[in-house]
Amino acid sequence: MTTLTPPERRPRLPRLPERIAGTETTLAALAVAGYVVLAATTHGAVVSGGTLTAIFQFLAVPMVIGLSQMAVLSVGQMNLGVGVLTGFCAMVCAWLMVAAGLPAWLAVAGALLTGAAIGLVNGLLVVLTRINGFVVTLATMTIIDGLRYGVHGTATYQGYSHRLVSLGQGSVLGVPTVFLAAVAIAILVAFFFRSVPLGRRLLASGGNPLAARLSGVSNDRSLVVAHLVSGLLAGAAGVMVVALSGSVNATIGDDLLLPSFAAPIIGGVALAGGVVSVLGTCLAALIIRLVDVAQAQYSINPDWVDLIVGAVVLGAVLITQLRRPRAGGTP
Amino acid sequence: MSRPPHAPPSPPAASDAALPAPDPAVPVPVRALPLWANPRLGLLVLLVILVVVFSSLRSEFLNTSLTLEPMQADLSVTVVVGLAQLSVLSLGHMNLAVGRIAAVSAFAMGWAYDKLSVPLPVGLLIGLAVGALVGAAAGWTIQATGVNSFVVTLALDFGLVGLVSLLYSGVGDGVAFHVHPAGMDSLRNDTFSDYCTGSVCGPPVPLIVPIALVAALAVGLLFRYARLGREILMTGSGLKAAELSGIPTARRVVQAHSLSGLLAALAGFLLAINNGAFSADIGSQFLLPSFLGPVLGGTLLAGGAVSVIGTVLGAAITEVIQTGLTLLQFQVEKLKIFIGLVLLAALSLDRVRHVVAERRGGGA
Repeated sequence: MTTLTPPERRPRLPRLPERIAGTETTLAALAVAGYVVLAATTHGAVVSGGTLTAIFQFLAVPMVIGLSQMAVLSVGQMNLGVGVLTGFCAMVCAWLMVAAGLPAWLAVAGALLTGAAIGLVNGLLVVLTRINGFVVTLATMTIIDGLRYGVHGTATYQGYSHRLVSLGQGSVLGVPTVFLAAVAIAILVAFFFRSVPLGRRLLASGGNPLAARLSGVSNDRSLVVAHLVSGLLAGAAGVMVVALSGSVNATIGDDLLLPSFAAPIIGGVALAGGVVSVLGTCLAALIIRLVDVAQAQYSINPDWVDLIVGAVVLGAVLITQLRRPRAGGTP
Repeated sequence: MSRPPHAPPSPPAASDAALPAPDPAVPVPVRALPLWANPRLGLLVLLVILVVVFSSLRSEFLNTSLTLEPMQADLSVTVVVGLAQLSVLSLGHMNLAVGRIAAVSAFAMGWAYDKLSVPLPVGLLIGLAVGALVGAAAGWTIQATGVNSFVVTLALDFGLVGLVSLLYSGVGDGVAFHVHPAGMDSLRNDTFSDYCTGSVCGPPVPLIVPIALVAALAVGLLFRYARLGREILMTGSGLKAAELSGIPTARRVVQAHSLSGLLAALAGFLLAINNGAFSADIGSQFLLPSFLGPVLGGTLLAGGAVSVIGTVLGAAITEVIQTGLTLLQFQVEKLKIFIGLVLLAALSLDRVRHVVAERRGGGA
């Protein structure tokens, strides 16, 4: 998926941060406006404690999932296994606690390690076989999908560590802990891509592999690291599901793949690589969450949600595209 | 349309799909790879080995009515789904909405049979037209806005998921059209062995198999011999070069996506025939197989090269593995693990074979 940008387009690069900043502002305004409209039309139902908590509790997983996809998009790759990997890590975490009898903190570490290890395998496969990352993750997605059901069949794990669940469902000063965890992860990811040399190298590889190589960046290492980070974040999302829901089964992650793409794409992340936006991805996840809330509040047919999300994805990309000076019709 | 002044030569890579990405600095020497390096041959050998292994482990594998006939019926659907994806892979595009286009077309067909009581072929034509139109709309959006095809078809997929459910709940009983236009049941249940002239009966091949074969043949001929197909491939291998050679690339993009939509609709029709109903869940399982067949068969994701025979073989291998492992009473989850592993192994072997072939060819 890596495409070299022809030399004549180079001078436009400095505009990209501007474009991202614009997208983030638009998204923030959209989210606030959406929330105000929701609050006004539901007679304040979404301002009350319970609903507000629920909004942010169930925002945590989509946020982290979006960041997981964003990590591989940064080098111009895709990870189709994000959803099933989240489900698999959740099952592993629950299995470690229920069947293996490990304490919760070890189980959490085990789930994170599982995610990172699978991400590492993805990355190594991409680098060693030189097969397109889309195809590699398509194959590993199929395998993980099988493994996910292999952990405990279609049965449900429940009654694991009460402390983990009460921590996951609890809140600090009225803010749900899972949401706080998601924000902390987002800050870490933002820091990684902004200030850590390794993160900068990922963006360099994604933006222009040839230039990156000539500047001494190992593109292979960037690919492996990006997949590893993506797997680790999917593992984190899996742990959040375990802590939040109190019971897990193998269907977790089925409906996460498409949202994982929707959030970064709406947030202004370039599919070709080289440009990421943590804030944009999180805001986009929030907007999608608000559409969900609106559906529940107005008791609209849930099918409209997908229709609207589809329209928002396309609309967001179109707006971004229109704002950018026309760079030819290369899709 | 007049012939462009500099009609470019057809790319040599078009028929030999799995060439590794060439180093841009070094022009790839035009050299025929040895026969054993032909990926299609490898797939054929793999297919034969799988069939032999499965039939020696379970004799039911060669049972006509229990295994072979359902397998052929399923394979017909998978092949057409793979062709639908292949049509846009030729451009280097993707169509994530194949399943939903199939679903929305199946709705149109079911609606036409249920409300308009049209005969079977007319309903099929309506469905194909709907699929082609939706595909064309996606293609038009892609070429008009320059947005990545992945994003456009992802958004289309989201949109159609909602739309299909809304349509089914708005019309009909909310889930499916249980219609039986004349000919549908025989298309579903009969094989050619049910039709005899005297004592000579046809082979035990379901009636829907020829439909898929015709589709595969038509797509194969299109990309090999027809001007339209060659120009789509050229657009896929180099947009700028194709444009400068006088190819109306925007139109080719729309046409390729339209073809993809049409084939997705055909796949939806075939699945509806196999299931016996036009239901909302048609196409929900299409996305993975749509990539498995072409990718196993050596079609490049980068565009510019397709392999229809490879797609058919790739789909056949997936189908044989599924049927075989089901007979061996593997659970669904283990089956998926194996399919994933086979996909990885086949692709890695393909790489190894090419590296070896290149090296030997270079020494000769």
